[in-house]
Amino acid sequence: MEELILQLKKEIIEVLNLEDIKPEDIDENASLFGEGLGLDSIDALELIVLMEKNYGIRLKDPNEGKAIFKSIAVMADYISKNRTK
Amino acid sequence: MRIVVTGAGIVSAIGIGKKETLDSLVEGRSGIRPVRYLETTHHEFPVGEVQLSNDEMCSLLGIDPQEPTTRTALMGMLALKEALEQAQLPTAHYPLSTIPLISGTTVGGMDKSEKYYLDFCENDTHNEFIRTHDCGACTEMMADHFGRFHRVTTLSTACSSAANAVILGARMLQNGETDCVVVGGSECITKFHLNGFASLMILDRKPCRPFDDSRAGLNLGEGAAWLVLESEEHARRRGIQPLAVLAGYGNACDAFHQTATSPDGEGPYRAMKEALEMAGVTPEKVDYINAHGTGTGNNDQSESVAIRRLFGEQVPPVSSTKAFTGHTTSASGTVEAVICLLAMQHGFLPANLRFKSTSDCIVPVTQTPNLQNPQPLRYVLSNAFGFGGNDSALLFEKVASGQWSVVSEGDRQLNTEHLTLNANKVYLLSAEQISAQEPLCEDWKENPIPLTEPLTRSREADYKQFIPPLEARRLGKILKRAIATAQVALSHASITTPEAIITGTGLGCIENTEIFLDALCRQGEDQMMPTRFMQSTHNTISSLVAIRLKAHGYNATYAHNTISFQSALHDALLQLAAGKIGNALVCAHDEMTPSYHTLLCKGGFLAGRHAAECAVSMVLSTQPTPQALCEIVGMRMLYRPTEAEKQQALDSLRSLALPCTTLHCINSMNSEFSTFFGTSYTAPALDLYAAAHIIESRPVLLCHDDGRHYTLILLAPCLKS
Repeated sequence: MEELILQLKKEIIEVLNLEDIKPEDIDENASLFGEGLGLDSIDALELIVLMEKNYGIRLKDPNEGKAIFKSIAVMADYISKNRTK
Repeated sequence: MRIVVTGAGIVSAIGIGKKETLDSLVEGRSGIRPVRYLETTHHEFPVGEVQLSNDEMCSLLGIDPQEPTTRTALMGMLALKEALEQAQLPTAHYPLSTIPLISGTTVGGMDKSEKYYLDFCENDTHNEFIRTHDCGACTEMMADHFGRFHRVTTLSTACSSAANAVILGARMLQNGETDCVVVGGSECITKFHLNGFASLMILDRKPCRPFDDSRAGLNLGEGAAWLVLESEEHARRRGIQPLAVLAGYGNACDAFHQTATSPDGEGPYRAMKEALEMAGVTPEKVDYINAHGTGTGNNDQSESVAIRRLFGEQVPPVSSTKAFTGHTTSASGTVEAVICLLAMQHGFLPANLRFKSTSDCIVPVTQTPNLQNPQPLRYVLSNAFGFGGNDSALLFEKVASGQWSVVSEGDRQLNTEHLTLNANKVYLLSAEQISAQEPLCEDWKENPIPLTEPLTRSREADYKQFIPPLEARRLGKILKRAIATAQVALSHASITTPEAIITGTGLGCIENTEIFLDALCRQGEDQMMPTRFMQSTHNTISSLVAIRLKAHGYNATYAHNTISFQSALHDALLQLAAGKIGNALVCAHDEMTPSYHTLLCKGGFLAGRHAAECAVSMVLSTQPTPQALCEIVGMRMLYRPTEAEKQQALDSLRSLALPCTTLHCINSMNSEFSTFFGTSYTAPALDLYAAAHIIESRPVLLCHDDGRHYTLILLAPCLKS
């Protein structure tokens, strides 16, 4: 799981173009949206694309993302249980 | 002055022409079907396609199918034909050369670009379609099919484009620039848009259900619709019975988010309110609202909030006809306006198909219309909202039979004089650039950097001082330049929030558009790129600036190749001269990538010239300041003019410079500035920017003549007291 969390942090930094942020700067239990990293709904869409491309998880309803993208730790947990690649 | 509609034409998934459209609406026949004409792998999304192939449309129009056309242009021509025929135009007395045509589109020639992109890049074939890509090219194709229109331009404000074309036409009539104008829009379905909307996850896999609890997104549609607008007096003199009066219109910016509407529906509320107030119509008088009603969770909820804010407990009958047509995007403003005109004429309320129940929205009309028992509709409101919060509303009033009498006053008084700012003087308070020269300063005056390469990219400013990193990270360069130039220009003009933001861009955010298109063509249709798509619409620039400035006023974007900037300037001058606004931020932005530059050279544009990028923001005001750069005295815009027409325009504008008779003339095609600012679609903005910074005692005449478009702008030095 540690490995997956680090991997996810790197992927998120790349896909969301989070310049000047390093994986160790992100608290995996902190909220991704609002307070915390301050991501928004467009970032959520990009995260959905990331999950599909890298882990073979396809969400049909963007609202499902709300619970999954609570924090990196929650997201990693969901991915580990549902990944198809 | 009352503005009347004397012609209307429509093409959509529910019919070719008004008769078929009416029948479908009355019989409840939806046009949402499995995809048939678009070559896509996304068969899971039902669409609202016009039920004609391109070849069938060519045959209806008498066009050789081998001719390079686009689906957007063909649909537009079919609808335009119907509108002109109904308005009995043109005639010997009323030739097209006296009538402007204003179109709204976003997709332009993307259907052919996505089909032939790899051919352009790799095989050097189908290059004739490189020129048909831009929005303006589609407008010109539609116009040229019928003859030589007086002038043309193209608005591109995403899904409110056609509604904003109506608004511009109405303003031109009210300002006396013309007495008759053709306005509308056209947009075909493309893989680009289908995949883009899919990446935003707002497409429903079933036929859409606007306002219903089970709604899960929109169905993409396509279509075209046009209106002929005239002054009431002009229509009477022509002896033509109007279909309706355009009683009011509103344009406001939600200034909230690139793809979502605010929870309180601020932009939609302001647009509807402005339309009603302009007409002096109180909310309870409105008999029907044709909602934007896309079927997405967000739109329908916030539109409901906005309607309730304006109409209170007495919400008039509302329906979204997108359940019939699908979302015809840029064309929806006039497609739905024509549906409103049919509803008024035949006295029925179009039903909101597939609605069952709602917990968070207004309850729309569901009854099937009964034409045997017509219902009088006097005032009808039509909403069109676009990405970036470009929100517009049109209010139509029925002309009761018997209230119309024809006046025959002999020959028509030709009134095609262009804008003369005789009402309010307009001053250019500030202007800033980011270009091939040192950014955000006037170093070019002393130390111009010569252009040596076929393409020179802009010298970037330090954007960190203008944009926080979290926001900057996903903005393309064109957007960063827009924000920086706007902020500096506004600060020099001591204005925090401009009353209007109007942008001209030939190609919009071409870098993101190209990345999306490239991935689509090379890697197939599973490349979901929401951010790229979101930034591919031309109006992203204007709306992003509005979001940052929280500017809820008028917001528009013009995308018509070499006259994009002049069109934006013209719109601002119209409103400033009329006293509608006191100041405006006018912007001109084009970026260029090496690969797209190669394509444009293949297409015949830019070849042999020093191409560059352009970012200009300028602040115009009716109030001069001691620092004001110059006065903008007037301008003229003509399309494919004769030499005599050019001379007439030149003479009439020169007369405004009197008593000065010697003007400093700058021609954009070989201007003294082009050696260091380079060539781009919006380069005329850099000419104006530079001229304003060097103007001394003589007035400056800026001329652009590219063989199709002829524009003149007259600047005069400010009188120093």
